[in-house]
Amino acid sequence: MPPITVLTPTGTLGYGFGEEALARGMSLNPAVIAVDAGSTDPGPHYLGSGKPLVSDVSIKRELTALIRAGRAAGIPVIVGSVGGAGSGVQVDRTAALVREIASENGLQLRLATIRSDIPIERAKQAVAANEVLDFEAGYPLTEGALDETVALVAQMGHEPICEALGAGADVIIAGRACDDSVIAAYPIWKGADPALAIHMGKILECGAFSAEPFAMDVMLGTVDEDGFVLEPGSIRRRASVKSVSAHSLYERENPFRQGGPGHEIDLTGCSFEQLGDRQVRVTGARLTETEDYYVKLEGARLAGYRSIAIAGIRCPTTIAALDGILDQLEERARDYFAPDPISVQFHVYGRDGVMKELEREHSPAREIGLVIEVTAASQELAHAACHQISGAMLHHHYEGIINPSGNLAFPYSPSDLDVGPVYEFSAYHLMKVASPTELFPVTLEDL
Amino acid sequence: MAARPLREIADIVRSKNAGPYRITFDILCREKANYETIRNSGAITPETVARAYGLAPSDISSFFEIDMANAIKITIRRPRAQGSAGEGDMYGCQQHVPLMNMLVPLR
Repeated sequence: MPPITVLTPTGTLGYGFGEEALARGMSLNPAVIAVDAGSTDPGPHYLGSGKPLVSDVSIKRELTALIRAGRAAGIPVIVGSVGGAGSGVQVDRTAALVREIASENGLQLRLATIRSDIPIERAKQAVAANEVLDFEAGYPLTEGALDETVALVAQMGHEPICEALGAGADVIIAGRACDDSVIAAYPIWKGADPALAIHMGKILECGAFSAEPFAMDVMLGTVDEDGFVLEPGSIRRRASVKSVSAHSLYERENPFRQGGPGHEIDLTGCSFEQLGDRQVRVTGARLTETEDYYVKLEGARLAGYRSIAIAGIRCPTTIAALDGILDQLEERARDYFAPDPISVQFHVYGRDGVMKELEREHSPAREIGLVIEVTAASQELAHAACHQISGAMLHHHYEGIINPSGNLAFPYSPSDLDVGPVYEFSAYHLMKVASPTELFPVTLEDL
Repeated sequence: MAARPLREIADIVRSKNAGPYRITFDILCREKANYETIRNSGAITPETVARAYGLAPSDISSFFEIDMANAIKITIRRPRAQGSAGEGDMYGCQQHVPLMNMLVPLR
């Protein structure tokens, strides 16, 4: 097998890369451009709502540069987890951008789209057949939770992407995909050792985050028979043993064993070797195929509608009395709107707004930033309750008050802002499948 | 015995989501000697980290000393799932301060 070079332009499509870095990267003759466009990292909103994580403007600008580069070099462009969550509406939205790009730039290409939406009934059958395992959620997936789920996807492995490559796709717009698999698909399709290709994918999927200085920028990986070599696109960055090995720990729990669709990778025997100043060679990953093939489900449910109010507090007497005041106001609001339930949260910046129950330092704050948050079954109710609390807090009387003209400094009028629908994760579980491609249909279109 | 906060010995102390239900902490050292000082001090263990965050030892889901990378990795179950009611750090990237301030005795 001749060495195969993958160019990954950035850690998340839409977050940018250098033109010089892309040009230099393309001069190294990559066989494929592969990039990830999503994750659960930004939270459940993008899966639940179907709204894109990154604007169409940014996605179109970057996809135009990548597709033009790919077409000029005659190599495929693969994008995984499009739209942020990889749901069907997000696949459609990104595919529409590809059609615009092809037409506006006079490009002929074969577009493959791969959906990753899981029918709720399919997941229910798996629950009933005892073919769903908890991953890390700490609770079992139930039929009830699936009934509440408004969007359900599964992470595909490399196999559906290889199917699209086999069908001659020039641009592949994939729904939710395991990040590593997006990068690893082309080398595996060409015969690379899956262990090496997937390990390379783990490091490359964040772009030049594994280089120094790190950035959202171009990174290249070249896999051969025994290992792979990493190198940043930009000549101003370098890959070092430190930068690469540190990145191997990032955003994952177990640095030595990592599960993925249908496999587990063992990294205990890995070694990293500096080649010259800018390259690192990695060897030693081993892969075990799991007995059954499981895919990770990701689901979101509508938790309600949210309104918030943001206010500052400077008076030390109010700050000293704050805990009692907030408890009273919450209780009063619940009673006021009963029997309609409302969920009230206070983010008290300056006290424990960032760390909540993990905060261990309790020195008094000079200034507090207060976010009042209400979630309810309708936006109208959330807004009403939020204003009921912010208004009552403004004029609340408490023991020891020195300034009775108002307790809150509002930066905005209106004081209460409607945030819209709120989603929560409802599924984060493993589901057994009959084949790696069963749930991920490939559709081809010649543009 | 003299002691210094971890942040003065390690080069990076960071926190980050590892999926929606976990937060993972990495302590990274450029110099092997600094890593060994931390590792050999016995100051950073699942029990001491749990105490620094007011967690039960069972909330620590894993702990690794990674000699090859001069790194220690600790993962906790988050008290509130990412994006759930009242949760305040969507990327889990600002939870590192109690760890950074833990004291490492110097021999």
